[in-house]
Amino acid sequence: MAKTSLSDLQKQMIDFLIDNDQAVEQQIISQGNISNQTRLNIYKNAYQVRLKEVIDNDHQMLGMYLGDALFEQMATEYVQGYPSNYTSLRYYADRLPQFLATHSPFDQHPIIAELAKFERLLLVAFDAADATLFNQETLQGISHQQWPALVFHLHPSVQLLHLNWSAVETWQALKRESTPQPAINKQSCWLLWRNSERLTEFRSLSEQESALMQMIGSGESFSALCDFLLISLSADEVNKLVSDYLTSWLEQGLFSIEARA
Amino acid sequence: MRKLAKTGGGQQPSSLSTELVLPEHFLGFGLGLRTEHFQQVLDSKPKLDWFEVVSENFMVDGGKPKHYLHAIREHYPMVMHGVSLSVGSTSPLDQGYLRQLKRLVNELQPEWISDHLCWTGAEQTNSHDLLPLPYNEEAIQHVADRISRVQDFLGRQILMENVSSYLTYSSSEMPEWEFFNEVVKRADCHILLDINNIYVSARNHGFSAPEYLQGIDKNRVRQFHLAGHTDYGDYVIDTHDHDVADPVWDLYREALKRFGWVSTMIERDDNIPPLNQLLTELDVARNIAQQTLATKAQN
Repeated sequence: MAKTSLSDLQKQMIDFLIDNDQAVEQQIISQGNISNQTRLNIYKNAYQVRLKEVIDNDHQMLGMYLGDALFEQMATEYVQGYPSNYTSLRYYADRLPQFLATHSPFDQHPIIAELAKFERLLLVAFDAADATLFNQETLQGISHQQWPALVFHLHPSVQLLHLNWSAVETWQALKRESTPQPAINKQSCWLLWRNSERLTEFRSLSEQESALMQMIGSGESFSALCDFLLISLSADEVNKLVSDYLTSWLEQGLFSIEARA
Repeated sequence: MRKLAKTGGGQQPSSLSTELVLPEHFLGFGLGLRTEHFQQVLDSKPKLDWFEVVSENFMVDGGKPKHYLHAIREHYPMVMHGVSLSVGSTSPLDQGYLRQLKRLVNELQPEWISDHLCWTGAEQTNSHDLLPLPYNEEAIQHVADRISRVQDFLGRQILMENVSSYLTYSSSEMPEWEFFNEVVKRADCHILLDINNIYVSARNHGFSAPEYLQGIDKNRVRQFHLAGHTDYGDYVIDTHDHDVADPVWDLYREALKRFGWVSTMIERDDNIPPLNQLLTELDVARNIAQQTLATKAQN
């Protein structure tokens, strides 16, 4: 038999791990009491267990919501359908929300994909880049003449999440180890970020604050934010509101000095 | 205790007797730095000589992991240990990964960098496992060339570690240790010898672990890994979730006799026990080394 090249050997091994293609068994020599199939299955088992553990670790509340049987079904199908092409396992389950939104039976309960999306954004906020905070002192250092053109930069950890179901309330109930209420179809917007103590936080946003955050994320100026509010409020009301918003945003550490690189 | 023969002028690891004169590259006795112990390490500054960090765990943009990494680095020497270099793969070297690695090296200034003599993926698919290579000329040439390119990119020599394996390819033409020696010689890199992996592979393939040790070029060994495994009777799996087993301690004694003072650490990756338990296990390693090498020096 012609010698198999290193690249063919590696292709056969990968094909075995992800597709159960048995060709690689011909490349293994028999040794002792352990069958070649057992030897190969040690690798396949490790591959599957490792990837399932990643999903389990990243999505603990989703796992509780689904229960053992459905979680196992989800993890098995995801591992089978989505071989890793990432260097780091940190990103392996990035496509899980999309998988859940498009595969039966999970797609029949859209809250499941939203739960997964929320947990992924918690991870993003957890290890997003560090940045120098734009705080009250920074603001005071800017002359009032410059305020209209001022553009705030969201801290790299800040994430906005629009939901159609009560996914966060369900996540919170599971985290408290209590039974979640039945899923409710309602629109909401959530803000996730990492605070100055490096702890991940989240809170719901009103439609108004959500709109402002989206404008800030798009690079709109301070005067554009005020103009937006002036459509529906008086100048005095806008002054007070903007001051309150700015105070809370800066206290929560939502802005950084520089934009994400 | 008689003084050992001087082989270098390295700084004395704090946890060893000051009577000893140690090789320049000897860091002492260390542990793998694990998330579970971050705060305790910072609070209590445990008495150990160095930490090994898994490079990939800190290839993130920011947040808590990097905060703790840099805070702990201020108090301990560190070495970086990677799992994703995939130096044996026939896919092109991952330039993005190498750039991230170099960035982390610049941030951390580690004593050295290591990864595994294996491949982890091919054809754009990553197994996230340390897959064995065939031990033949084609693989030697391929891997040695890639290690050289990695070293050129990083501007420094790296350490290659032996992996545990569960199968042998029919295209292998030599024992693992001959393959290992030839690769590190051609690439001019150093060796991280995992004592547990030698034991595990010896059991799974039926070779002699002491013969493996005797076959390794002792001038290239810079670090030992000690770890636990799971014994299934017919075969052994390198699980890193148990204490170091007695036969592995025995093999460690043999390794010390052959290689002398080599920076040693316990690598625990799962079922992580309290830090104090690992420190106690590290004391066992330190005591074994002192006893073994004192006896050797007297003979």
